[in-house]
Order: sequence, then structure tokens, then C-alpha cells
Amino acid sequence: MAFSRFSPKILVSVVALVIGFAILFGIGLKGSMVYYLTVGEFLDRQGREDLGENFRVNGNVVSGTIERTPGVIGARFRMTDGTRELPVVFGKETPDTFVDGSEVVVEGRIGPDGQFAATTLLAKCPSKYESTAAGRDALKASMQRQAGKATPDSPAR
Amino acid sequence: MADFGTLCLLMALATAGWAMVASYNGWRIQSGELILSAERAVLATWGLVALAIVALEHLIFTDRFDLEYVASYSNRALPAMYKVAALWAGQSGSILFWVFILCTYSVIVVLLHRRRNRALMPVVVTTLSGVTVFFLLLLCFLARPFVGLSHAPPDGMGMNPQLQNPFMAIHPPCLYLGYVGLTVPFAFAIAALATGKTSDTWFRTTRRFTIVSWFVLGTGILLGGWWAYVELGWGGYWAWDPVENASFIPWLTTTAFLHSVMIEERKKMLRVWNMSLVIMSFLLSILGTFITRSGVISSVHSFTRSDIGPMFAGFLGLCVVVSVGLLLHRLPLLQSEHRLDSFVSRESTFLFNNLLLVGAAFAVLWGTLFPIISEAVRGVKITVGPPFFNEIFVPITFAIMTLSAICPIIAWRRATPHKLLEKIRIPFGAMVAATALMVAFGMRDLYALVSFALSAFVIATTVMEFYWGTRARRRATQERWLAAFWNLLDRNKRRYGGFVVHLGIVLIVIGVTGSSAFKKEASATLGRGEAFSVGRFELRLEEIVSRDTPNHEFLGARLAVLDGGHQVGTLLPGQNFYKAGQDPSSEVDIRSTLREDLYLIMTGFDPQQGRATLKAYINPLVNWIWIGGLVLILGSWFAMLPDLRERRRTAEARLRELQPHAI
Repeated sequence: MAFSRFSPKILVSVVALVIGFAILFGIGLKGSMVYYLTVGEFLDRQGREDLGENFRVNGNVVSGTIERTPGVIGARFRMTDGTRELPVVFGKETPDTFVDGSEVVVEGRIGPDGQFAATTLLAKCPSKYESTAAGRDALKASMQRQAGKATPDSPAR
Repeated sequence: MADFGTLCLLMALATAGWAMVASYNGWRIQSGELILSAERAVLATWGLVALAIVALEHLIFTDRFDLEYVASYSNRALPAMYKVAALWAGQSGSILFWVFILCTYSVIVVLLHRRRNRALMPVVVTTLSGVTVFFLLLLCFLARPFVGLSHAPPDGMGMNPQLQNPFMAIHPPCLYLGYVGLTVPFAFAIAALATGKTSDTWFRTTRRFTIVSWFVLGTGILLGGWWAYVELGWGGYWAWDPVENASFIPWLTTTAFLHSVMIEERKKMLRVWNMSLVIMSFLLSILGTFITRSGVISSVHSFTRSDIGPMFAGFLGLCVVVSVGLLLHRLPLLQSEHRLDSFVSRESTFLFNNLLLVGAAFAVLWGTLFPIISEAVRGVKITVGPPFFNEIFVPITFAIMTLSAICPIIAWRRATPHKLLEKIRIPFGAMVAATALMVAFGMRDLYALVSFALSAFVIATTVMEFYWGTRARRRATQERWLAAFWNLLDRNKRRYGGFVVHLGIVLIVIGVTGSSAFKKEASATLGRGEAFSVGRFELRLEEIVSRDTPNHEFLGARLAVLDGGHQVGTLLPGQNFYKAGQDPSSEVDIRSTLREDLYLIMTGFDPQQGRATLKAYINPLVNWIWIGGLVLILGSWFAMLPDLRERRRTAEARLRELQPHAI
């Protein structure tokens, strides 16, 4: 029996460690799960409270729908998966890659006005980047510049 | 030229395939000729892959845009340095580069070990060639670098400007060197299992490969963080992005291995565990390569739609079956020779350190793969964000730091509480003093307090360890302090190199803590002469600057940095507008000191009113991350230097294996 090679004290602490780990894991997971959906999937699931409030939605910016108010940071636009559309408001600086037709990933929740209020926005240029390291990095760049979270890598929170 | 490249790859596939088959059969029937032939085939494969790389680079340098790869990742104006780097800008090119590194490692292994390790080498060659064959299959049939276009565009699309940064040019090769290097210990582990020669030769032989891979992987991760920090303009360096995680997971498991292997060396314990760690690290490096190259996780689209996904999944599955099968088969040989009986012993701190590191690796892996797992189980992608990783990682880091403070002062086998208390007194006192000082200076952030206190604890133990060692040596040899100190280090390179690495890690932890717990930010839209403040700094817009270069136009804002009313410098953040029509990219400007970085981005400019929108961050202590990185590099180098004692031990181990009953 392999376990007999460890003293009971050690075995008990190993088990305690694993349990502690599992608890930590469960709490962490519960607090930060976000559904990642296409525009159509998101619209189909609207009103389902069991999925949580925050969502990540993927789609393309409908050309010509980007509206900006001078002096106000952010933009309003519509995003689509090719068939259906979702109106989005975003209140932070938009990334360089956010233009007509670019692929975007927004994270946020639906507001009382029926518009999707995004707290983060990632944008990928229409044709420029492939799903490669380059595209990923560009995407990440734009995401993080926009995310504007005080501490994206904070161990403290 | 493109056909020549394709031909090289096909021939390389043939030679690598031959190396695999010949080596395996040579081992089965003990035919020296077949084994020799296989080893030569390894050299030939290297030559052919090198030629394919030369062919691709030639096509890039001669602007052959009728080739899809060249048209996608290069253009005429691209500087020569980045034309070299274009080799690993895309999927097929980077796989080609991956294979080249693997072949290079294989050649080094063959040249170094074919005489020294005759028993293991045939299987090592079989394994290395098997992995090579897989990646060559990808290159020849799925991710083909030499595919032509029916209509050649007049110019290529060029490289993403954000990747045109010296760090970015060396960051991927570093990561690949690390990833691929993990194949070597894996191959030796498989060879040890297959031949049944599972005593310590395999890991002693590969220790240097493992440390080198671990070190290069770590350096690559740090370089990536640095690049993100200076280039991406969001004020941070790490975001728990799938690609970052993919390189971090094997680094964690390799770190665990480097520790637990010491237990196997000394005590012949944890042998199954060590085998598993090496196998796991290799599998994770393959998974990491796949995640990095396919972008499968960040995409909302299904995993199965990735063209190389099923191939990778199949290959990983095959590796799991083979290695787990071998491991189970040889389980009786891997029995521990000793019992881990004392809770308060260095062995047990190593055991817990390993559990924590592997637990951390598992958590990061789970969080990273969660979208794929949830899609498979529930049909919908669910992502987990940075909070998940932070929540798990912070307590684990604290626990690991506590262990690394206690571990060096705790005795092997069974520590007496009395001795331990005597040794721990000073470091513990240092920790308490540091905490009291921080509280006295008004620090109230709990996480930061714990983190800094533990850092003080580890630093104190490590410094004391150097001191105690020197003192003991001085007493024994009557040398002077400096001579005793140097000789101590020189004779125990691994031990003290390892301690230096610990110090580097602590500095990184200090930097990460400072820059996350005490980060400040502010943003404002300013006209000329207007100012805004962030932390203790005031930033005043002096003028708008525009510059024209052949490649791009730069538009920036010059700001005076005032600290308490006195000007301490100027910063010039701006944006580059590329003439090739690429998206503009932000150029951040940083005022960097040991105390903090003042990080400034120009996020927008209104030409009509001449007003610039700016975002400023104060990142305290962030420089210590990079300083810690340098210390880590220094320590690793020192630990890798040739060590007489170690060479003797390896020779002894090999001898034992040849004549099991002689010693």
C-alpha cells in the first residue's frame, strides 16, 4: 500500500489541503463565471435569470451604427451575428481597433432600456488579424486598454 | 523556392519517421547498426528542417507575396529584424520554428549522450522523433507554410505594429525554447520506463535540460509581461489571458519537479510523482503550444472548428495513453525506498510545496480550459475571469512563500523543534519587525501586509542561510569571510543558485503586490496649460507634438511632471498613425523609478479644439518585478554552471546502473 509510506499526520494534512483547495476553487469559480455567447444565443436566453446577470457577447459592429457624442468618452453601436442585432452602450475609451465591421466581444449586462451596457469591450479588426498570437495580442491590447479596471491582475481582489 | 521548402519538409518527415522506426526496432532487437542509422537520421532531419526555414526566410526577404504566408505577415517596408521574426508571426511558420527547435535539441541530445547513455538513448531517440513526426505531419498536411496564392498582392499585409517591438521579437522564441525543451526530460522519462532502468540516471542526465527549459520559459513569460507593459498601453503586465496561462502552467509543474526531484535524489522517494510531473509538464507544453497557436479559447467558435484542434487532441491522447500505460506497467519498479515519516522535516515541506504548485497549475489549467469544458458538458461557453485566478493564486502564493521561508532551516528526516526554533528566531523577528514598521507607516491593506511580511520572512531566512553557511565554512577551514563565502557558493552552486532564485521570486512578488494593491489612476481631457493630478504628481500639458517618419506619423502630447510644485521631468505619450493603413497604436511614456512608475497614455486627440485625452497610472514598485526577473536569471545561471560534486554523483549513478551489484 503506497499510502503507508506517509505518516498519518502527513496524510491528514494533505487531505486537509486538498479540501481547502476544493473550497477555494468552488468559491472562486462561482464568483467569476460568465457566459460567452453569440448575439443570437444571447437574445434567445434573455430573461433567464439562472444564467447570472453578466454576459460576454461576441459579434460584429454593424457598419454605420457607431455614434459618439463630442466630449463624452465611449460610444453607442449595434452588433450583429449576421442575422440579429443587439444595441450596445459603452462608456469608456474605445480601442483603436473598434471600427465599422470589426469583431467585438463585449462584457456587461442588459440595462433597463433594453440596451446592453458593456463594461469591457474587445475589438478585432475586420480582416487584419487572424486567430493567431498577433490577433490575440491586438485583441488583448484593446481589451485591457478599455477594461480600465484598476487592478486587472490584483492579487488583492 | 516554395516547392523546395515543401520538398524539404516531406523529406524531413521521411527521415524523422525512419529515425523513430529504426531506433525502436534497433532497441527491440539490439541492433547497433539500426540505432546508428536512426541517430544519423536525426541529424539529417535537423538539416532538412533548417533548409526549410532558410527557404521560408528567403521568400520573406525577397518579398514573394505570391506565398500566402509572406503576404499575410510581411511587407516591403518591414525592417530586416522583423522579417526574421515574421517566421513565427503566423501559425504554420511558428510550428516550423517549433520543429526546428525540437530537432536542434534532439541533435544536442544525440551528440551528447549516444556514447554515455547507450541503454536509454534508442528509446529517447524514438520519443523525440515521434514528437517531431507529429509536428512535421501538421506542417506537411494541415498548417502548410509554403502555400501559394493565385493572385499575388502588390504588397503584404505586414506585421501588426504592436508586435514590432524588440521584446516581442525574442519573447516567442524564448517561450518555444522552454516549451520544446520539456520534450527532452519527457523522452528520458519514457526511455527509463520503457527500459526499466528507472533509477536516477534519467533525471540526473536531464537535470540541465530541465533547468534550461524552466529558465527560458520563465524568462519568456517575464519578457511577455514587460512587452505588454511597455507596448500595449493598459498599465498592466499580466491579465490571466489564455495564452499567458498556457505558458505559466508548465512552468509551475516544472518548478514542482525541480523541487521534488531533490527528494528522489536523496531519499529515493516520490518516484511515481516525479515521473508524472515530467510527463505532465510535457503534455502541458504541447497543450500550451496548441492554445497559443490556435486561439481556440478566446474565440466564441467551437473547438472542433479549429483545423488543427482534432490533430492536437489526438496526439495528446496518444501521449497520455502511452505514458500512463508505461507508468502503470513499471509501477512495481518505482517503489519508494524510504518512508516519509516526520511531519516536521524538510521532506514534508517539499511535499507540500509540490502539492501547492501542482494545485496552482491545476487551477490555472481549469480556469483556462473552462470555456472548452463547459462547451463540451453543457453546450455553451462559460469563461472565468481574472478574479477566479487571483482568488486562488493569492493564498497559494502565501502558502508557498511560508514554506520557502521554513524549508531551508528545517532539517532532513526529522527536525527537532528546539533546533528549528533556534534557527527561525531571527527570520521570524525580521518578519514581525517589518510588519510593525509597515503598520506604523500607515499601511492598512491586509493582503499587501501579509505579502510584504512573508517577503521579509523569506529574504531573512535566505540571507541568514548564506551567513550560516559562510560562518560554518570559515570555522572549518579558517578561510577569510569573503573567501569562505565564495567557496561555499562555488561548491554548492545548485543550493545557493536556488536561493538566489527564491530571492528573485520574492522581489517579483513584492513588485506585483505593490503595483496591484496601491495602483492609482486618473484620466482627463486637457487643453494647453491645463493640468490634472494623479497621486502626488501633477501633469501639465505643455504642447502638442507631431512628427513625421517614413513609416508613420506620430502625434503626441508633451506634459510637464510636477511633484510638490517642482518639475521633475516631462513625458511624451502619443499615437502612431501608420502609412501602411494599419490601425493607430498608442505609444506610452513612463517615468520609471524604483519607488513607482508614472505611466501615461494619450487615448485620444481632438484636432478641432487641440485637446488631448490622457490616462495616467501610478504603479508602485513595478520595477522590482523586472529586477526580480534579473535576479532570477542570475540565480538560474549560477545553478546551471558545471558543478564538480554533481558530475561525480551522476557518474556514480551511471556506474551503479551498469553494475547493479558492484556498489
